[in-house]
Amino acid sequence: MLALPATLFTATFFLLPVLVLLSEGFKIDDAWSLQGYADFISKPLNQTVFFRTLKLGFLVAGVSSIIGYATAFSIFHLPPKHRGRIFGLVVLPLMISPVARTYAWIVILGRTGIVNDAIVGLGLSNTPIRLLFTETAVFLGLLQLFMPLMIIPLVSAMENLPSDAIAAARVLGANWLQVFLKVILPLTKEGLVIGGTLVFTGSLTAYITPAILGGAKVLMLETLLYQRVNVANDFVSAGIIATILITMSFGANFLFKRIATART
Amino acid sequence: MKYLIFTVIGAILLIHTAVAAEKKLTISVYSFAQDAYKEALYDPFEAICDCELVIETGNSVERMAKIEANAANPVIDMAVISSHDALALARKGLLKNLDVSKLSSYKDLYEAAKDPLGDNWAVGYTFYASSIVYRSDLVQINSWKDLLSPELAGRVALPNITGTQGPLTLFMLSKALGHRGYGFEETIDTIGANADDIVTFYVRSSQLAQLMNQEEVIAAPVGRFAWSRFSSSPLPFVWATPKEGQTGGMNVMIMTKDNGNEELAYQFMDYWLSVESQTRIANAKIDSPANKNVKISDEVAESLTYGAELIDSLNIISPADIIDNRESWVERWNTKVIK
Repeated sequence: MLALPATLFTATFFLLPVLVLLSEGFKIDDAWSLQGYADFISKPLNQTVFFRTLKLGFLVAGVSSIIGYATAFSIFHLPPKHRGRIFGLVVLPLMISPVARTYAWIVILGRTGIVNDAIVGLGLSNTPIRLLFTETAVFLGLLQLFMPLMIIPLVSAMENLPSDAIAAARVLGANWLQVFLKVILPLTKEGLVIGGTLVFTGSLTAYITPAILGGAKVLMLETLLYQRVNVANDFVSAGIIATILITMSFGANFLFKRIATART
Repeated sequence: MKYLIFTVIGAILLIHTAVAAEKKLTISVYSFAQDAYKEALYDPFEAICDCELVIETGNSVERMAKIEANAANPVIDMAVISSHDALALARKGLLKNLDVSKLSSYKDLYEAAKDPLGDNWAVGYTFYASSIVYRSDLVQINSWKDLLSPELAGRVALPNITGTQGPLTLFMLSKALGHRGYGFEETIDTIGANADDIVTFYVRSSQLAQLMNQEEVIAAPVGRFAWSRFSSSPLPFVWATPKEGQTGGMNVMIMTKDNGNEELAYQFMDYWLSVESQTRIANAKIDSPANKNVKISDEVAESLTYGAELIDSLNIISPADIIDNRESWVERWNTKVIK
C-alpha cells in the first residue's frame, strides 16, 4: 500500500535529479551527443586523473582489506568485555568531521610534523622530505578516513563464523594460512565485499581529503568535477565525471562480488 | 468626524507599512565577512531606506549563473563582482548601463573606479593589491621571478590559475621574465618546468596562511586583503615590493538589466560608495575604499590597499584581456603544469 508513494518519492527526489545531472554529459548546445565524452576522454589530464582515481581507489581498498582483516581478527578474538571497547575506538573516528581528520594530516605530514621529525631523527634523510600534496598524502588520508568502513563489516562477518570452524580446521591439520584461505576468507567474503565496496566507493567520491592533501597537483575525479563546475561552469564535464564515478562504483561492486564468488 | 479622521489616518499608516514591507532589494555578494557587512552596511542602509535587503551569496560562478538563468525576469537587482566577471555579464547583455548622475558619490571615486569597463557598465567599489609574502629571515624577494629561483625550490606556493590571484601572478611573472602578450604561454611553460619545486597551487588565502605558519612554504603571491593573517604571525613575514611593482585588481558594482528596482538599487549603490559607508567598511578591515575622500588610520591602512599613490602604481591586467584569454590559460595550465 505504501509502495506507490515510496516509489514516487524516490523517483522524484532521487532518480530524477540524478538522471538530469547525468544527462548533461550527453548534451552539446541542447542537442543529444556523445561528443562531450569524446572530448573529455581525449584530454591527457582527464586520462591521468581517471587512472589516478582508479589506482588510489583500489590501493586504499586493497591495503585497508589487509589491515582490516588483521584488526577485525584481533578484535574478534578479544574477550567480549574488551571487544566492545576496542570496537568503539574503531568507530570513534567516524564521529569526527573528515575536515578535522584531514587537517590533522597536514600537521602530521608537514616539514615540521612528526613523520619528518622521525625521518630526520633516524638519519633517513638530512632534510625533511615533501609529503604533503603528493599521492602518498592522499592515500594515507583516504586510508585513515575509510578504514573503519572495512573493519566494521569484517568484524560483523567474523562474528557469524561457526564457533568451532577454526578449531576443526586446525584439528584436521590445516596451518594458519590454510585456515585463513580455506575457512575464514570464504566464510567472511560478504564482509569483504561490503567493506571493499564502501571503501572503494568512498575513496572515489571523497572530495575534502584529496582537495586538502592533494590540492591542484593531485587532482582526482571529484576535485576535477568541482573545478569544472565551480570555475568553468562546465556542467557537461560534470555530468560526464558523475557518470564515470557512478559506473566505477557499480563496476567495483560487481567485480568484488565476482571475485568473492570465484573463490568458493 | 473624529472617528473618520482616525480611520483615514489608520488606513494611510497601514498602506504605508504594507508598501514599506514590499520594498525589497535583492543583492548578490561574495559570501565572505557577511556579519561585518551586515553591521557596517546592510543594517544602516535598511534603517534609512525603509526597505528590506535580501542578500544572496555564493562564489562568482554560481552567482553569475543565477543572473544569466533569470535574464528574462531578474531575481537579482544589484551585484558586486570582479571586474572581469562583470565584463563577461555585460558582453552577454545582462547588465544595465548605469546612470552615474544618480550616484552622488561618483565624483569622489578614484579615476580607475569610475568607469572600469566602459559604457558605465560598472563602478568600482574596492581595490586590492597583490604581491609576494615571504619569510625575511630565510629569503629575500626582489623580483617576481625570484619565485622560481633555486633558493625557493620546494618552499614556494603559487595561486592556482582558477582563482583570482592566478592570472595576476602569471601577469607579473611574464613581466619579470620578459615575456610579451597576454597568452602567457612561455610563462605557463616555465612554471610547468618548475612544477616539482612548487609545494602546491593554493586556492584560498586561508590555506596559504596555514602552510606558511606551519613553515611548509616560505614565499607566495597573495592579495593584500589577506595580509593580516601574516602580519599577526610570530614568524617574520614581509610584504615584498618587487622591482616590477605590485599587481592588483578591482571589484565592481553592477545592476541587472530591466530588474524594475533601479531606483532603490541606485540608492543602495550610492550609500555603499559614500564616505560614511566606505569608512565604516574600511575600519572593519573588510574592503579597501574606492572613495578617495575616505580617511583611515595608518594601522587600518596597513591591512588594506589604500591611497591614490598605491592604487595608481598597481599593474592591473584589463578585464577584457582576462576574459579573452582565461580559457586558453586554464587549458595550457592543465596540460603543462598540472599534467
